[in-house]
Amino acid sequence: MIEVIGLHKAYGPRLALRDVSFNVAKGEIAAFLGPNGAGKTTTMRILTGFLPADAGEVRVAGFDVFDDPHAVRQRVGYLPETPPLYPELSVGVYLDFCAELRGMARKDRSRRVGETMERVGLVGWERRLLGSLSKGYRQRVGLAQAILHDPPVLILDEPTSGLDPAQVAGIRDLVLSLAGDHTVILSTHILSEVEALCPRAVVIANGQIVADGAIEELRGRAAGGPWTYVEVQGIEGPQLGRLPGVKLVEPLGEVNGWAAWRVRAEGDPREGLAASAASGAFRVRALERRLPSLEEAFISIVGREGTAA
Amino acid sequence: MSTVFTIWKKEMRVYAVNPTAYAFLAVFLFLSGLFFFLGITLTGEASLRVLASNLAIVELFILPMLTMRHFAEERRQGTLEMLLTSPISPFALVLGKWLASVTLCGLMFLGTAILPAILAYYGDPDWGVVASTYLGLLLAAAAFCAAGLFSSSLLDDQLAAGLLGIVFLLPFWLVSRAEALVGDELAERVRPFGVLNHLDSFGRGIVDSADVYYFAALAFCFLFLTYRALESRRWR
Repeated sequence: MIEVIGLHKAYGPRLALRDVSFNVAKGEIAAFLGPNGAGKTTTMRILTGFLPADAGEVRVAGFDVFDDPHAVRQRVGYLPETPPLYPELSVGVYLDFCAELRGMARKDRSRRVGETMERVGLVGWERRLLGSLSKGYRQRVGLAQAILHDPPVLILDEPTSGLDPAQVAGIRDLVLSLAGDHTVILSTHILSEVEALCPRAVVIANGQIVADGAIEELRGRAAGGPWTYVEVQGIEGPQLGRLPGVKLVEPLGEVNGWAAWRVRAEGDPREGLAASAASGAFRVRALERRLPSLEEAFISIVGREGTAA
Repeated sequence: MSTVFTIWKKEMRVYAVNPTAYAFLAVFLFLSGLFFFLGITLTGEASLRVLASNLAIVELFILPMLTMRHFAEERRQGTLEMLLTSPISPFALVLGKWLASVTLCGLMFLGTAILPAILAYYGDPDWGVVASTYLGLLLAAAAFCAAGLFSSSLLDDQLAAGLLGIVFLLPFWLVSRAEALVGDELAERVRPFGVLNHLDSFGRGIVDSADVYYFAALAFCFLFLTYRALESRRWR
């Protein structure tokens, strides 16, 4: 549904994107992750046809963004980083204007605007001026504007930035309800949100795609990969490290008199550890396979300096 | 065409609640009244001659201020991003905004309709001349609004855009009265570009197609430049 091949974009001497390529399949929700200034917004602006690219190919819903921008615009709903609102218009008038911009007939307009307002939780707000809305409501109106014409492709630039946890949950439910018949690409740097929403993440840093895959896969690959959490008694670190298959042990402190360790091994060491414990070498009460957290994965992928911003 | 109307309607809505628009409308009406009064008392004739030539200058300063908001503000609010990613052509956007500002000028002139009414009460004005004077002022307004839109499409800052619009228009005023500055021969050559020369015949009741074309060409050039400025989008 979204195909990006070899995208390059420079702002003057500064290269913003270099050789960016990725695909998003129909009905998929993909997260676009990366530190601030990595090129997320630039990529999204190119996807919507707002910015031209210097080189590369972008196809959205089967149409080339550069050759046939009109067809793409009809099929894309876009929420820019700051919701595009006219402070002097009311919610109802604004959404009606947006519907008209998308070429909806008068009789469909009021129905669609009503439905959309219900969907994003704006019922009873149609007469409020946009300039008087709080951040959360501004974001809702921005989202309403993006889904108004029921576009097959949704591009959301930081849809939850600056919202409180309840509002974030609301937007998350909304995006989840759109999955299936809509292809969604959303950028964010809130990692817990990615795990809750998107099975798939594309990670960008310094204008380049540095990782692309299922969240589990990224976590498994990054930061040294999967590891085993153990809580043991009656064995010291060096002995634990000499057990068959074990490559590395790191202390994680003590939990109620039990020593906790992070064990890295060739393959899955749990069976071997359990067998050693059963033979009476030591006592064990926890033996758990774990993946690095998305935070750890993210930092190991984009590098520490990337997250400082 | 319907998208032009959509934009027009939205702009008229925004004008209706925009305090700046009312402030400039008030200034315009005040100056109209002032020049009308001076014209009548100085010349003693029942005509809009003095008013018309001065009002053209007032337009030159006020209209860029009235249109400065259009693209500068859309860009600041981020709404330009939405408009340009909507399935409407940038040309419809430019045209809709221009027609809205020209409509507002029309409403402003409607507000000055009391002045010819006063003439009719006390004297016997030539209605043909009154009509052609208004037509000339409206054509000039249409061209000036286009220049204001162009400057607004170039700059992010509203006020700077308004001032730049005036800067764009000043030469068209100066070349109409260039004799004292550059000597007769050169003045003769640049005069065809002057705004006031083209307004003169309207003020005498003559609607010359050359004058109409002049204002149409001026408006077209500025609208085309606005369109190109939006299309290129190389800012940032």
